Order: sequence, then structure tokens, then C-alpha cells
Amino acid sequence: MLKNLFPTLARFRFTVQIVMLFVTVYGGALLGSYTVDRISQALPSLACAYDKVTGDHCILISAQHQLHHRVGVALAKAGDVALNVFLPTLITVGVFFLFFFFLNKAFCGWICPLGTVQEVLYKIGRRLGRPLNRFKQGNVGRVRPVKWFMLLVLVLGLPTLAGMGTVANELGDPFCQVCPSRIATTLLTADTEQLAVRTGTGINFFLGALGNALFGFMIIAALAVRQPFCRICPLLSWNALFQKLSPMRLVKKEAHDKCAKCGVCEKACPMDIHEIGTAFGSKAFHEDCTLCGRCAEYCPDDDVIQLKFFGFKLFGSSRDYYKARVKFETPEGQPKKRVIPILRAKENG
Amino acid sequence: MRILYFACLFATCTATAFAAEPPAMAGHDHGAMMRSQAEHWTQLPLLKARMKGQDMSSRSYIMQPQNIAADVVEAWSNNLDDANGHRQLAIEMGGAPLDKPATGGFQMLTAREVQGDAVRVASTVHYFGERGGKNPSAMFEQIKHELEIVPQPYPREHSRYRANEDWQFAVRFKGQPLPEQKVVLETSNSSRAEFMTDAAGVVKVHVPQDFKAEEEQSKGESHGMRRGADFVLAVSHADGSLQYLTAFNSSYGEDAYTNRSLAMGLGFMLAGMLGAAPLLRKRKAAAKNEEPSNA
Repeated sequence: MLKNLFPTLARFRFTVQIVMLFVTVYGGALLGSYTVDRISQALPSLACAYDKVTGDHCILISAQHQLHHRVGVALAKAGDVALNVFLPTLITVGVFFLFFFFLNKAFCGWICPLGTVQEVLYKIGRRLGRPLNRFKQGNVGRVRPVKWFMLLVLVLGLPTLAGMGTVANELGDPFCQVCPSRIATTLLTADTEQLAVRTGTGINFFLGALGNALFGFMIIAALAVRQPFCRICPLLSWNALFQKLSPMRLVKKEAHDKCAKCGVCEKACPMDIHEIGTAFGSKAFHEDCTLCGRCAEYCPDDDVIQLKFFGFKLFGSSRDYYKARVKFETPEGQPKKRVIPILRAKENG
Repeated sequence: MRILYFACLFATCTATAFAAEPPAMAGHDHGAMMRSQAEHWTQLPLLKARMKGQDMSSRSYIMQPQNIAADVVEAWSNNLDDANGHRQLAIEMGGAPLDKPATGGFQMLTAREVQGDAVRVASTVHYFGERGGKNPSAMFEQIKHELEIVPQPYPREHSRYRANEDWQFAVRFKGQPLPEQKVVLETSNSSRAEFMTDAAGVVKVHVPQDFKAEEEQSKGESHGMRRGADFVLAVSHADGSLQYLTAFNSSYGEDAYTNRSLAMGLGFMLAGMLGAAPLLRKRKAAAKNEEPSNA
């Protein structure tokens, strides 16, 4: 019965994504009004604190808040830095790691509501016959450092400096002010407040304008680019810091000489990680990997790419699975038969 | 998970329903009572929290009864199983110190005055942020005084009442809902309104947008915290020779869209969309060369 419900890993993952979309966006409405304090406030996915019915908060807002109000303030008081200042931050990171230990970066690929929204938009783009814009091997490297910049500057740097009084107080949670998940998840609850740009101060206005423009860009880009925001998301880099510390892994073993020339797993990767086609062993589990498992689904060799937990195989590539999978969808996510024919005809002239 | 949650909630609610009503606090030593500073915007009883300390590590709170003579402030924690779940905080000079309980979360606070046949109660809610805090629904439902105004619900964690929003409150007497009961709202911005409870004893209160425009311009925003004001809801009810008056006060913020522009927000979103629009165009050369990928 389970096999009928979830014939592919992709179907199973999409079901999890939709369920988690409801938990992360509407969890408070489902579980009662006061759920946030009772779960974690340190979720490794973009469950937004601005969403008034969310079930939990993302680690990034807690981190910014603590750096702003505790660490920054304590650093400004030079010498007054005590364990009780850093303890809340350590607890937040510890709680985050309790989740992260079990699922690793699958929080990005399976749980994150913004990841799900982008994936749904991409599926819509495929149905509408929009092109796929991929990052080629030569230029994907230019985008990758942005996520580290976002983490170091927007999540860690500016909130700490705001707490120290070095920069304006409005920079206490700058990432949240530009995060598309803040707008996407609140709009999903029919709340337009976060779409309205703050006009109180110049900094608020600038951050709000940038956030809205980024959100608009992401909505359209996601129709033709896979996971456009994930590539620069500071949670991807935050999670990358911890990815080697979890027993949940993506592993790839060296199969045969032609393996590196095949390239199907590269095409299947929504994050354009070209290294998955050429690297082996632990190097194949790249810092941008979201553990979505598409590379394993589209690898035509038995057990070459596997999702493993504590060394146990959760899912492994197989030739039979691959053959069945490509009958319905290309590695790039293009459905074989279900493109809206009118749009396709119009495009062809 | 959800089943477990509802099972726990049901168990807690059941325990609460059978909990004994706290004894009426008659026989106070009125000579020892202090009458704190009166609030000029209302004659109704209030409980105000005054914050001490500048940063999170040194912050503490003093609960100040206003327009009411009380010798203690009663505090109910969200952890009903805790032996210290119901505390009596002695009023010292300036008010009753409210320390953060281990469970954190929401605290229901009341002050009570009995003068002859008149029983007056001030009530409010204070929130301490704390991970792992328990669901306060059962704490709110617990009977604390004869006549009560109970938030249905209180603004969740990290939220607050805001102008132009509707919020519900249950009005009950000795645990039973009071239908068709008049409820008065007064605010520190000089608004006054009256509402009626429905058949279930629930009143829907519209929080007024009564902040003055000139203050908006002069004060603006600070760290996203908008200006606030106080409101108090009050209900009175006679039972035999006793006249009860109970008030519930809290603060409220400005309308969600104050100092925000939805039009500009939409404009910047559209600009971003336009920026991404070229990605949707199918390049002719690419289309010609495109081969269906069957891998």
C-alpha cells in the first residue's frame, strides 16, 4: 500500500514537504494558539516568526535576536561577558542541533516552507513550458559565496554590531527583513502586513524595499530556475557548518570509468552541484546539497549514490528505479507528457 | 504527535475543570493595604508591569496595582502542576516584584479589593519568553475570582494587541458564562466604547485606532517596536448584596499598517518580478539545440 501511495522518493518527499508546509506555516492554528515556545524556536528551516500562526521559529531569527540583545550588548560592556550571556545562544544552537543531527540538510530539501514554495513554482514553470536556466560549472562558483556573505554579514555581523551600538538598532535582524520566507509564509496565511514596506526610517525602508524586490524576483525566477533563493540562503551555509556532524549523509561510491562522464545526476540536482557527477566519497556531499535525493533517484547504477543514516541505506540508486522514473519526468524535472499544449504550440510559432 | 498533544490538552483541561475555586479573599487587613498611584485616564482598577533594568540579563518587573487597594498580587503560572503555580506576591514600596518562574511563558496576575459589599478585581497577563513554556490555555481557563474576563485567546508569543483588530474575551461569573452582559472599554488615548457579550458570554472587542497623528511623526518607530497605549475592559455584576467589578488591562500597539506602505511594497515586488522576467524567455538558439533529456 505504501508503495502505491509513494511509488518514488520524489513523491514521498513532496508529500513530506506539503505536510511540513502546513506545520511550519499554519502549525499554530493546527496545534493551538501558543505553540512557538513549546517546540524549539531553533528550527533548521525558514519557519517565519512573522507568520502569526506558524508552528515554530527558524534558528536564524533566534540567533539574530540573541546576538543583538545579549552578545552584542555584553561585548559593548567589555569585561562583563559572562556565561549567562552566551548560554541562551548556546542553548539555541544546541536545540537546533538536536533536530539537525537526525535530518541534517534534509531540513532544506524536505522541511523548509520556502523550499517547497520554490519547488511548486518550478513545477508550475514546467507545466507552462518555461525554459530551465541552469548555472553552468564555470559560473555556479560565483553564486556560492553569497550564502556565506549573507550568514556572516546579515545573520551574525550586523545584529552583533547593533547590540554593541556600533550600527543602527534597526539592523538587529536584517536578514529577516530581506528574507522572502517572511513575505511568502505570511501571504500564505492571508496576511499582507509583511508585504507592506516599512517607511519609519531610511534603513527600514531600504531593507523592506530590498526584501520585496528579492521576493518578487524569486517568485518569477523560480518558474525557470530551480531553487533560486536556496543558493544564497544563509541557512544553507549555517547548516553546511554542521553537516559533517550528522549521521545522515549522501554518499557516492566509485562505480566504473564511465561514471564521471554520465552526468545524469548533475542534471537532476536542483542546486546545480556539478561535483556530484565527478566527485566521490565524502566530497560528493557538497555544502550546497539539500539531501533532496534526486541524484540518487536519477543515477542509473545500482547503489552508487545512497542516502545513509548511521551507515544504513535509506535509499539507493538502482537501474530499474531509474528506468521507471525517467518515463515520467526528465532529470531536470520536465514532465514527459503533461506540458500545457496551448502554451507549447504558441511558443513554437 | 498531534494526538499526543490533544490527549495532554484534554487531560490538563479535565484537571482544571475539577480544580477547586480559590477561596474568596475576605477579611483583608485593610490597614496594611496600600493604594498606589492613580491612573488619570481611568477610574477602573489596573495592574501595570513596570520594567527595571536596561538589558535582558538584568531586567526585572514590578507589578503595580492602580486605582485599587490590595495587599498582594496573585500570580498564576502556566504550569498548573507546579507547587508554586499560584503565588501571592507581597506588595512592597512601589509594587510587587514579579520574578521569572522556571516555566517562563504566560503569567496571569490579579489584585483584589473588598470594601464592604464591593468586590473589585484588577487582572492582566504578563509574558516571559522561554523555550519549552507550557500551553497557557488551561491556566486561563482556571477559575481565579468570582467575576472574570478571560482572553480567548491572549496574543500568542511575541505578539500583542493592536489597533483595528478584533479580539475575543469570555466573561464569566463563578465559572458560568454571562450572556448579554455589558463590557466597557477605556483606553489611555481617551477612547471609550461599550460591547455586549453574546449568548455564550463571549464579547468581541474592537481595539480602537486612537493614536494621534502628530505623535506618530515625532516619535516614529524604534527597533520595530511601535508606540503603545493601555486599554482596560471592565464588567460589573450584582449577586445578592455583593457588587462585583472586574477589569482586565493590557497594552496595545498601533495598527499593523502604521508606518508601512502596501502600495510601495507591491511596487518593489513588481520591480523584482520584472527583473526576473527575462529568465522566462526561451532563447531561440537554446530552443533549437534543446534535446529532450532522456538521460
